[in-house]
Amino acid sequence: MTASEDRDLVARAVSGQDTAAFGELVRRHQSHVRNFLRKLAGDYTLADDLAQDCFMHAWDKLQTYSGRGSFIGWLLKVAYTTFLQSKRKSKRYAEILESAGRVADQESRSTVLPVDEITDLDKFLSVLTEEERAIMVMSYACGLSHREIGDATDMPIGTVKSVIFRGKEKIRNSFDIKDHQHG
Amino acid sequence: MISKIINMAERIKDAEDRLLESLFESAPVVDDGFSVNIVRKINRRLWVRRLTLPTAALIGGAIAFKPLAGLTAALSNLSVLIPQDLISGAASSIPQLQTVVLGAILLAVGLFSVRMLEE
Repeated sequence: MTASEDRDLVARAVSGQDTAAFGELVRRHQSHVRNFLRKLAGDYTLADDLAQDCFMHAWDKLQTYSGRGSFIGWLLKVAYTTFLQSKRKSKRYAEILESAGRVADQESRSTVLPVDEITDLDKFLSVLTEEERAIMVMSYACGLSHREIGDATDMPIGTVKSVIFRGKEKIRNSFDIKDHQHG
Repeated sequence: MISKIINMAERIKDAEDRLLESLFESAPVVDDGFSVNIVRKINRRLWVRRLTLPTAALIGGAIAFKPLAGLTAALSNLSVLIPQDLISGAASSIPQLQTVVLGAILLAVGLFSVRMLEE
């Protein structure tokens, strides 16, 4: 799976509306995108729905991928935007429900995992803010460079570094991570 | 040079970074028809997009047919009011006026169709 192969597939998909080439890109990167969204959303079904939306948005915006930086970095940017948009929508939906006098417990119901399914990683992620979680996952789970994370989140590299530093510090202060080597 | 140094510094990971990497690591998600589903959805959307314009043109044409026919009838009634010598004068100066107009309409329709097919 090389970057130049990705670029060739993108070129084929954009120039000839080649859905097979795009299908190959989806097949190559779906695991990374779904894992990223699963860690971010904390709910597998919701994450997979978001991943579908993400790839549909990616198809629509494919011509905006300039070839600068990795394709997975660009894809994770689309995934992160999709996640934030859905979060905003569900927040607005909850507000409407609340204003209508109903109990808006849907969000909490959809994101909470059963106690026996909570892993060490879920515990670590729970102490982080949404932004910190996204950046830490991009860095440690997806292996993106600081520059790629900066491109994906529209942040300067310095800010990315300080968010990672802060995230690590939070995890370090909340848990003794040396005890979780096989977590 | 500076960017190379920055990249190298980024790659130098301490034990804590490696530990975090192992904690964040997760098994690859099996495709299980996910990519096929996406491609199917995109193909369906492309077909819908391709069919939308001709369908809209057809519906628009059907709706516009009756008022257009009325307009043509009204125009033909108006042509009676135009002096006959003016019409014959125009016809003599451009002998194939009708053919030219018909050709222009066909050309416009043809160009529009080609563009639609390209899209």
